[in-house]
Amino acid sequence: MNSTEIDWETFSDIIEKHRNKKWGLIPLLQDVQERFGYVPPESIESIAEALNLSSSHVQGVITFYAGFSTEPRGRCVLKVCRGTACHVKGAKNILRIIQKDLDLQEGETSPDYQFTLETAACLGACFLAPAMMVDREYYGKLNPTKVTSVLGEYRKETGEE
Amino acid sequence: MEKLSSVGQFEWLRNRILSKTTKDKPVVHVCMTGCRAYGSASVKDALVEEVKKQGLSETVEIRSTGCHGFCAKAPVIAIEPLGIQYQEVAPEDAAEITALTLKKNQLIERLAYKDPKTNVPIYHLDQIPFYARQEKRVLKRCGRIDPTRVEDYIAAGGYQAIVKALTKMNPDQVIEEVISAGIGGRGGAGFPTGLKWKFARGAAGQPKYIICNADEGDPGAFMDRAMLEGDPHAVLEGMLIGAYAIGALNGYIYVREEYPIAVEHLNIAIDQLKELGLLGENILGMGFDLELSLKMGAGAFVCGEETALMASIEGKRGMPSAKPPFPAQEGLDRKPSNINNVETFANIPLIIDNGAAWYREVGTEKSKGTKIFSLAGKVNNTGLVEVPIGVTIKDVVFEIGGGIPQGREFKAVQMGGPSGGCVPKQFLNLPIDYDTLQKIGAIMGSGGMVVMDENNCMVEIARFFLSFTQSESCGKCAPCRLGTTQLLKILTKIVNGEGRMEDIQTIKELGETITATSLCGLGQTCAKPAISTLKYFTKEYEDHIKEKRCAGAVCDSMVISACQHACPAGIDVPNYVAAISCGNYEQAVDIIRERNPFPAVCGRICIHPCETKCRRGELDEAVAIRTLKRFASDWYFENIGMAKKPFPVTRSEKVAVVGAGPAGLTCAYFLSQMGYKVKVFESQKIGGGMLGFAVPEFRLPREVIQEEISYIESCGIDVCYDTPIDAKHTVNDLLREGFAAVFIAAGAQASKQVGIPGEELALEGLSYGLQFLTDIRLGKNITLGGKVIVIGGGNVAFDTARTALRVGAQDVHIYYRRGIEEMPAWEKDIEEAVEEGVIINPFWSPGKIIHHNGKVTGIEFIGSKAVLEPDGTSYIKVEKDRTLKVDADEIIISIGQAPDSSFISEESQLERSLWGSLEVDNNSLTTNVEGIFAGGDYITGPTTVISAIASGRRAAIAIDKYLLGEKSPISIIDEKTKFEENAGLALDEETTGEKPRIKIEIENPVTRIKDFREVEKGFTEDQARLEAGRCLRCDLEEK
Repeated sequence: MNSTEIDWETFSDIIEKHRNKKWGLIPLLQDVQERFGYVPPESIESIAEALNLSSSHVQGVITFYAGFSTEPRGRCVLKVCRGTACHVKGAKNILRIIQKDLDLQEGETSPDYQFTLETAACLGACFLAPAMMVDREYYGKLNPTKVTSVLGEYRKETGEE
Repeated sequence: MEKLSSVGQFEWLRNRILSKTTKDKPVVHVCMTGCRAYGSASVKDALVEEVKKQGLSETVEIRSTGCHGFCAKAPVIAIEPLGIQYQEVAPEDAAEITALTLKKNQLIERLAYKDPKTNVPIYHLDQIPFYARQEKRVLKRCGRIDPTRVEDYIAAGGYQAIVKALTKMNPDQVIEEVISAGIGGRGGAGFPTGLKWKFARGAAGQPKYIICNADEGDPGAFMDRAMLEGDPHAVLEGMLIGAYAIGALNGYIYVREEYPIAVEHLNIAIDQLKELGLLGENILGMGFDLELSLKMGAGAFVCGEETALMASIEGKRGMPSAKPPFPAQEGLDRKPSNINNVETFANIPLIIDNGAAWYREVGTEKSKGTKIFSLAGKVNNTGLVEVPIGVTIKDVVFEIGGGIPQGREFKAVQMGGPSGGCVPKQFLNLPIDYDTLQKIGAIMGSGGMVVMDENNCMVEIARFFLSFTQSESCGKCAPCRLGTTQLLKILTKIVNGEGRMEDIQTIKELGETITATSLCGLGQTCAKPAISTLKYFTKEYEDHIKEKRCAGAVCDSMVISACQHACPAGIDVPNYVAAISCGNYEQAVDIIRERNPFPAVCGRICIHPCETKCRRGELDEAVAIRTLKRFASDWYFENIGMAKKPFPVTRSEKVAVVGAGPAGLTCAYFLSQMGYKVKVFESQKIGGGMLGFAVPEFRLPREVIQEEISYIESCGIDVCYDTPIDAKHTVNDLLREGFAAVFIAAGAQASKQVGIPGEELALEGLSYGLQFLTDIRLGKNITLGGKVIVIGGGNVAFDTARTALRVGAQDVHIYYRRGIEEMPAWEKDIEEAVEEGVIINPFWSPGKIIHHNGKVTGIEFIGSKAVLEPDGTSYIKVEKDRTLKVDADEIIISIGQAPDSSFISEESQLERSLWGSLEVDNNSLTTNVEGIFAGGDYITGPTTVISAIASGRRAAIAIDKYLLGEKSPISIIDEKTKFEENAGLALDEETTGEKPRIKIEIENPVTRIKDFREVEKGFTEDQARLEAGRCLRCDLEEK
């Protein structure tokens, strides 16, 4: 499935699960984000309607939290930690190497939707510094060699190269 | 599991679980949380497999646990009941662990913790220093129970506290107990938890909410994560007790989405509680109801602020609101709410179970209990640490944390993340508690401690935190939204080398305004990282602005490569190292000489700041830059020798230099290179200053310094030996004789006196270190016998002691008034001296010299000790009643040197400085008299040879500017050499981790003290090229 195409049936299942629930907006958006990798802008109105909120409220919440995006993200989401411990241990260079390797800037997604590159304020994995997360896996004590091999893994996994 | 409807049923369940637990059954605890990133899952699988294969499935339990704390050595496993820990375990180790340790109780040395100094293995967890100094109360179960099994928690005494609260205490009694325990909120501010509960209980309105703040967002903190992953039930039990105490019917745990394992374990735990009836209606039949649910954060740091957090739970933008009303009055859904942090809740069951009196046993007068810290950054033992409140910062960083990797210097520890500040070295002895930290500009915060070493730049750290707060500011209030943006702009300007001195004042004023006027904690504290670094590291700010120098060598705008920036002389290290790796040794020396005309000297005795900053050191060990320099320069003198022709004289002005030490000769060399005719006046018969007549042969052979001076002379510099500048031939005379400028580099060669009785007598057997070294170096035949006492802790003291050994002393003792770590001597020299048999006696201050018939017979020392000031600084105090008499045949005093300005005539207009030198401008080295400059040790006091060289080059640039009539300040920036060397080296290689630093061979200590042979051997050509190939070429990195 092309990640930009939305399976609207699944989408309405999510809507129904949360319909009219008190304080249900963020959990609903989290489900949508989790399932589709983003919150499609065209879905905002139906989300607002389901929870009896205004579209602007929904839009406001989406843009406030870093966890939501209105653009499709890649199959693998890289979160490079820029926390203090990682920072003092050279996270800047790690980010630089990844940017170069993937030819992506922070917040960008590769044209084939394989990778999205993000940074996180702190992954809470300071003992692994410098660290990053790919989807839900942690990778720590990164150095140039290790970064290359981790990125290679995720390329391989989906049959690239 | 059946639902429990009474306390009796809970007891029954508990007994059933306990009866099934076989005591003394071997259990292997495998950390499956933090260690997972290091492959602990496959370690666990391998162990399960192996135990099965070797037929132990029935008798041994392999248990998945939470964090064991010692994250630096991940993956770690613990084996009970043996009480041992194995570290950095790989799946391949499973067979051996099973066959030896699990079957036969045999220990495996390879997997044990090793004492970093002695390399002795320590198997037992409670004997490993990292654990021995901790007091695990809250973390008692973390790493020992399976967090996904409520049975484990119950077996370990869990849920006893809520049972006790429900059956034996009313809510007010619970609150009273918590108040009297004296626990402060562990989220950072330390507000008394019991009081908070009291307010919530007393507040009007229903329903009430209890909320657990698990939005651990401070960069550098991971305590809550470990707690939730490793022992989630403890937090839930705390919440149950809290809900009972304040009368809440609903509860929320607001947890970061970046913590998937924590979310998973919490969900499991909540489901288990629901199943057991410990959540829901009429819990344990006691008429207590509570619904708990999990809310995941969506990536906004500000949601750690309680009012923002509640807005977020309500599905709104997570923006804080003004207080009052406080959450206890009007919180979630505008109902009374109580928010506590994860760690606070985890403390509650302990208090109820063991009572407030027990809880108060540890801690300080004002803050009770323990605190969990996450120790990270530039520290050996990164991990999770629990200590009584009130231990010193030093205990945590050095005793538990094992100090700084690679022997680098501690700079500061950042506490409290973006809301906190940096604690510099002078406060290491302060106790960690809320008030003390507040006073020095840091905060306890949630417990993140990020250690920084000399390779971190404090301005850059401040900029880092501001970029964090700026991007996390919610934007609701102007002071924070605009203030963080402006502060960040200014700090960015400074790290980019575009700062101005006024910026420092602006940071302070802006910081005060933001602090005073922001709406919530984020804004009120966002200036702290900048203010505290500015307070303790002002010089780093000034150096960035004025000199374009970054002490940590990290700011891209002024640093090409860290090694070059670290070098006081700014030598283009990567290029000469590359030249050596390509076999172009002549070119290597040419590159060094662009900044330093003493390559062979520095190849031997330089303290090499370049190696300390070498980025390869982050990977394994620094490149042996100093020894490479020695190799190239030795090759040069062997194969090329002197300059082919002198520098051409292209300028009409003549310049005089006073003193042919490293500063003077360097200045002369570079002026001569610029085309000036230079004449050097030296009072001694030989050149080199301290290098020529003080540094002993075994560190710097005579021919090496001689060759170096001859080379400089061969470049066209005229050195007049035995030609003192003094009252008969003054500095002014030089100007009159037609020299357009004079550089004074007279060194610091007057030995300081101790000022003790006996010193004023011309006793036989009493001398001063520098004179002693000079006599020997100049060929005077001196032999010592018997016992020699050297007083002092600097380089001269150590050179003296080691020289004494070589001229016949049987027994050499060094006495020093401070501790060994505080000795100014180079660590390598201290080590070599000890190897040779010099005995070091710290904390003894000289008292009086004992003599008989005009000859030294001994000395009396007075004990001294370091005394802590209330502010954490220390000074040395003599303890008059503690004395030590030592017999001695020779006493050599080496407590330091000072400049001697007696050569400057009384009527000279030159302005003297307080301590006997001249007043000069630090940037241009100008004195108050036009055309006269001064530098080197003469101005700074004894420093290092490379600093003297850097000072000499600065003087040359200053004099050139002066003679050209240029007035702008001097800016010495890092530059690439014109002899660019394009070897890519290790950067191109696939594996960078596999090449250890080549060991530098040294002579055997037993034989080497028989004569003055050079202690250190150089590299062979093969070794040098191999070692040079380890360079990572940071200079080629795109910035």
